[in-house]
Amino acid sequence: MKRVLLEAVLVAMIGTALAFVANGLSPRGLKLTRDYFPGSNRTGAAVQPATTEAQGGTGRDLAKPSAAELAVARLKEKGLQVVDCKQALELFHDPRLAQGTIVFIDARNDEHYQKGHIPGAWQFDRYHPENYLSAVLPVCQVAQQVVVYCAGGDCEDSEFAALFLRDSAQVPGEKLFVFTGGWNEWTERGLPVETGGRNSGQRGVSK
Amino acid sequence: MNEGRTTARWRSADIVAALARWVLGGLFVYMGLSKALHPEEFLKLVRQYEMVSHPWLLNSIAGALPWFEAFCGLLLLGGVAVRGTAVMLVVMLVPFTLLVLKRALAIAGAKGLPFCLVKFDCGCGAGEVFICNKLLENSLLIFVACALVAGWGRRLALRFSLLRTPIQGRTPAPADRV
Repeated sequence: MKRVLLEAVLVAMIGTALAFVANGLSPRGLKLTRDYFPGSNRTGAAVQPATTEAQGGTGRDLAKPSAAELAVARLKEKGLQVVDCKQALELFHDPRLAQGTIVFIDARNDEHYQKGHIPGAWQFDRYHPENYLSAVLPVCQVAQQVVVYCAGGDCEDSEFAALFLRDSAQVPGEKLFVFTGGWNEWTERGLPVETGGRNSGQRGVSK
Repeated sequence: MNEGRTTARWRSADIVAALARWVLGGLFVYMGLSKALHPEEFLKLVRQYEMVSHPWLLNSIAGALPWFEAFCGLLLLGGVAVRGTAVMLVVMLVPFTLLVLKRALAIAGAKGLPFCLVKFDCGCGAGEVFICNKLLENSLLIFVACALVAGWGRRLALRFSLLRTPIQGRTPAPADRV
């Protein structure tokens, strides 16, 4: 048994070393020293995210705030402005969108962005800001209103992307708006979508 | 005659054990790589367990653990250091299963759901799963890993023990005496 435990220690040591090397070499690897959730406080929200209720179990106490209401309160607490789907749609149809003074930023990863995004939205995967900042930052500086969105629901990527743009890229906070309903609400309402790259011309209406 | 039957039974057990090792190894490679290719998604899920808050620790778990799982899976598939690797799997699976159970109980309590109707992405690499299925699956994986620790799955293993031990009662072959 002693040999087995020694073998386990060897496996753990070699495996851990290789795992860190693999993470370092992977283009999608995480930067170990970066704080991906700056200033986050998840008190009271620990149980809510990434869960779905199976059939028959709504179980929500109406006196308690919903996950969406908690998210809005959290965003406001961090000094971020919020838009709902109706306001996002108004901004989308605003002529200033074509002039570049209203900008949509998609904070999801490349895979999701390519599958579909709000037409004309710029991609800004906040986990790899170095890949997108050179394109997104000049656009944000020119814009008067920057609407950031991610999947919606319990997704926090739009929030952290907006915080990154404000705190690390010096985009004025008064320009930044988080569309809390995000991509899920946009598509649920059958609003226009674009697939592939930005301005790929592959436009349609979500089902 | 009886000896022949016993040998045949042992062969079947060996094959079952080797298959179990491959399935366990394949599962860990698949689960590990599916997380390693999307580490940011796994990072979010690890964060939900609220085990660690320091960014470096959180990033280390989310960045390295999936590769470590894939590494262990590869060792099992190849049959290298099987018992030591299986010990590591038990060391990972048992606390992880307890964490998943704790989180599921919290969700069930907060949402007023029957326990087995709780469904969430536990960070296992397979997306959202019903908790009872997950617990059953993990129990099976722990059982297989324990069986490997006990010495199952030697058949078709490249180097079952990294630190070889002499087999008791075996007369050394001429080649071994060199």
